Amino acid sequence: MGVTVLQQYPVPENKTGTYVIELLTKRILALGASQQGQFLVDCESYLSHPQMGTTKTVHIFHNSEQPASVFSILDTGTKNIHVIADGLFDLLMMKLSQHYTSKKQTKIESKGPRFELGDFCIKLGSVTMNQSFKGILVEVEYRPCVTANAVWNLLREFLQGLLGPSVPVQPPQHLLSRMNDIYTPIDTIYQYLEHFSAYRKITGMRST
Amino acid sequence: MLRVRKALDYRDMPFQLRYIGQPDLGDKNRPTVVRSSLDIACSGMLIDFLNELGCRIEFEYSVKGYMFRKGRMKITVAKVFKISQGSMPPEPISQSYLVELSVLAPQGQDMIADDMRAFADQLRPLVQLDKIDYKRLGHMAGT
Repeated sequence: MGVTVLQQYPVPENKTGTYVIELLTKRILALGASQQGQFLVDCESYLSHPQMGTTKTVHIFHNSEQPASVFSILDTGTKNIHVIADGLFDLLMMKLSQHYTSKKQTKIESKGPRFELGDFCIKLGSVTMNQSFKGILVEVEYRPCVTANAVWNLLREFLQGLLGPSVPVQPPQHLLSRMNDIYTPIDTIYQYLEHFSAYRKITGMRST
Repeated sequence: MLRVRKALDYRDMPFQLRYIGQPDLGDKNRPTVVRSSLDIACSGMLIDFLNELGCRIEFEYSVKGYMFRKGRMKITVAKVFKISQGSMPPEPISQSYLVELSVLAPQGQDMIADDMRAFADQLRPLVQLDKIDYKRLGHMAGT
């Protein structure tokens, strides 16, 4: 497990998501990477019933990189609390359906090809919500290092080279206060939460 | 109902979260109580998470004792302790041991209950291992 940065890649006005994925795939392969299967990160959100007072949201994530785990983030409105559990946590959410109901129409996922290039692992994800295309998320992981501070400059340079000068590369909001902490898989999930929440707010739909 | 378990002797092990449902209806003629259950290993912020989720702590206790297995049956022989405040040693609730016999089985597999009954009978008269009538217990607590 290394440090991961998740970056949005803007899709040009008259281009499709598939086109962008193919373009980035070509660039990565030209760098000498090899494709190592597919990946998938998904998120389903459950809302508490109104009679319980302030609305709380439970976000349930799965990541194909950690296939035996379920990541759960509880958003109380003022703070986030996370729990990492094994696969049965999904069944528990079904048992809680009296108090927490799933907002099926906001189920969102990012999936696509996964590449390895030396110490880097690159994932090109098309984000879809309810089968409608929302955008492109590029995930880059540098595996030999576990603190963001030590590796941020390297990751930025790599991302900038891959995505081109038109894409601004900033440290993820979630990592800013944790640059010196040990990076763990939940930090990747928080980055996905940040991006997925932003995508959900965008109402416009585009074709793939 | 949810229960959170934590090993006190192996502190780096994950928390165990257990969901247990109500005893199945039509339980009367069965030799044991049958309840649905889910066991989930979880990371450390579980207590905060459950509190914010809307759960309230009902009780907390610690147990120390022995665990045996016989086939799929799990038998625990343990003393129940009150959670100690500060540096006081934990205080046992009673000098007796609590013996519990349980099996985790797929839904509808009730045959194992007869084996459990047979096993429980072997322990008499030293251990009175009987099916507990939860309805009656609830009633007693209410009065």
